[in-house]
Amino acid sequence: MDFILNPFVTLLTFLYSVFNHDMVLAIIVFTVLVRLLTFPLTAQQQRSSAAMQQLQPELKKMQEKYKNDREKLAQEQMRLYREYGINPLGGCLPMVIQFPIFIALYQAIIISLATTPLQILNLSNRLLIPGLSSVIPLENIWLGMNLAVAPNLGSISLSNPLTIIPIVLIVLVVFTTWLQFKVTTPPQVPSDDGKPNQAAAMSQSMGTIMPLMYGFFALSFSIGLSLYFIASNTIGIIQYALMGKADFRRIFNINGAASKPPVVKPALTKVEGKASKPVVKRTNSGDKAAPKSDPVVKRTNSGDTTAPKADKAK
Amino acid sequence: MVLLRRLLTYGAVVVVSLMAAACASLPTESSWGDVSLIGSPAKILFSFSDRIVQLDPTDGKPVKLLDTDGKVRVDDSGNPRTWVLLSPTGTTVHYYARPIQTDDQTLIAGVYEDKLFQVDAAAARIDKTEGIVLPGHVLGNPLLPAAPNDQLLYVPLSDNGLVALKKTDFSQAWQFKGDGGKGVWSQPLLVDGTLYVSAMNHFLFALDAQTGTEKWKVELNGALASTPTYANGALYVGSFGHEVYKVGLDGTIAAQYATSDWVWGAPTVVDNMVYVTDLGGNVYALKDSGSSLDPVWTRKVASAAIRMSPFVNGDTIVVGSRDHNVYWISRTTGDAINDSGGKPITRAMNGEVLSNILLIPTTDANADPTIIVSTIDKSELLVAFSLSTGERRWVYSS
Repeated sequence: MDFILNPFVTLLTFLYSVFNHDMVLAIIVFTVLVRLLTFPLTAQQQRSSAAMQQLQPELKKMQEKYKNDREKLAQEQMRLYREYGINPLGGCLPMVIQFPIFIALYQAIIISLATTPLQILNLSNRLLIPGLSSVIPLENIWLGMNLAVAPNLGSISLSNPLTIIPIVLIVLVVFTTWLQFKVTTPPQVPSDDGKPNQAAAMSQSMGTIMPLMYGFFALSFSIGLSLYFIASNTIGIIQYALMGKADFRRIFNINGAASKPPVVKPALTKVEGKASKPVVKRTNSGDKAAPKSDPVVKRTNSGDTTAPKADKAK
Repeated sequence: MVLLRRLLTYGAVVVVSLMAAACASLPTESSWGDVSLIGSPAKILFSFSDRIVQLDPTDGKPVKLLDTDGKVRVDDSGNPRTWVLLSPTGTTVHYYARPIQTDDQTLIAGVYEDKLFQVDAAAARIDKTEGIVLPGHVLGNPLLPAAPNDQLLYVPLSDNGLVALKKTDFSQAWQFKGDGGKGVWSQPLLVDGTLYVSAMNHFLFALDAQTGTEKWKVELNGALASTPTYANGALYVGSFGHEVYKVGLDGTIAAQYATSDWVWGAPTVVDNMVYVTDLGGNVYALKDSGSSLDPVWTRKVASAAIRMSPFVNGDTIVVGSRDHNVYWISRTTGDAINDSGGKPITRAMNGEVLSNILLIPTTDANADPTIIVSTIDKSELLVAFSLSTGERRWVYSS
């Protein structure tokens, strides 16, 4: 882990020295840089997970059909993946690769914010640029708060607005986590038989649990980590928006956009032979169209949401 | 039910991952222990983590508590009571600083949790559990000048400068925060009414000991984590900026020497030689030539950081490292000292060796002195070694 962690600690400390000993700015820029570095992996993961989402109805039918024959079920699932050019590990693998990077990222923040002798000793052999030792220990007081410690809710006083900042940060952590989850989770496809969709229910539960869990982390861990969570979530949302996939009207129910659940049918294209990623069709004009694997929800003038026509795949 | 189980599984995985990631590789303690001698006949006084203990230097056993008749006190089960001070009832505190003796009956113990406690030395007990509240954490050793006309107790605060308390009632006489704070991690040094303070904000300060007024300050290109060493009419101090400095009592830098790594431990000065360790595992012998510090020898002794000050006695230097070893080297050459079998005297320990080494003095000039080495591993908190042979004499564990 040190081979990732030590460069990260060095980079964060370097940014701190470059940005005039401003730890908050250093954390934000540091998070942006690492998120940009891992963007190709994030994008691939999101594409794959959207494609997998599209296949859920068919997979569900298969599970029903072959519920007593697991071997056949596995074969049929693989056939389906091949037909639509989906790599079933396409969503997991980038996440697995990113996992140590993100662990290192926020470990780097914790380690750099060292305040005690043993923490500083631990930091001392992680800096790969000798000149950076002259900025140790890093200034970790920001707006009267110690970034290295968990928020102290007992110190909140209405007479001092600065003491409310930890609460604001926790709320922002919860909100940005919720928003990122909503933005990056495609609309759920209801079952054809009208039964409750298990995946949708699970996704909805996760959408509630995850923000609360991160809120708990923000409450329990250092304030510096809260800043990282907020920066990281915000960058994730921006990245997704720049990919043209963030539907804020649906999320915030603007003009009743979310009043009717989108009826989305699979819009994947079958491919011949083995493919590793979802097929992206090009229009006649040569513009790159959105991957067919993504649910494209059209809106009428009345604000109703309609589903795109599904490809007539055999 | 299945859904709930899956949700709980996912949640547990995420929570465990994040907790593990947040906690991994971070130390559970804030600092290391301090070991010193107290009383006559001398007892070892060791403070670390959740306790302070007094030990017999001959065998490392906890000192038994005696009543006013000189009989050993016993607990409710009839077992002898030993000198162990734990956290006051209802709280958890951490002792990293050396307790100081204000009189025969009282010790003052500073804790990381922003307090000082008065300890009944005879009973190893804290009576006033509310303590004396301080404006910061106590990590460095407080200083109580021995002179009777000195009426102040100086307490360094790891996050908030230094406070001077009145000896009579422990009320605050003054507080020095320095430039921008960042705290003081080491005991201040008092010389002729001037208090010299190494600060983590890179400055060495000289203060009027009575009023706390700043006389001068000098920036030394890195955090200063150890007490300046006073010798030959000058101050010697190492900094995280890979330098060791000789500073005059007027604040001028008289000489400096660039080391390979951070200097944490205080330099040890013997005659005109300055011995320095660094976090790269190096030991330096520098000749103080007045306006320069000239290297006599430099040795890479350990494979990890040496945090402590070099322990120098006769022709022997002993240092301990984060690599869990204690090394005996020659003061003259810096080479390893060999045992009778021709092998270097190096002793492996169970934990990192960070605290300074303590010498147990002996009145017998022919006796082989004992040195006390401390680790942060609870199975070997203190180990006594023969200074000349490195033979283990006893171990204290918690």
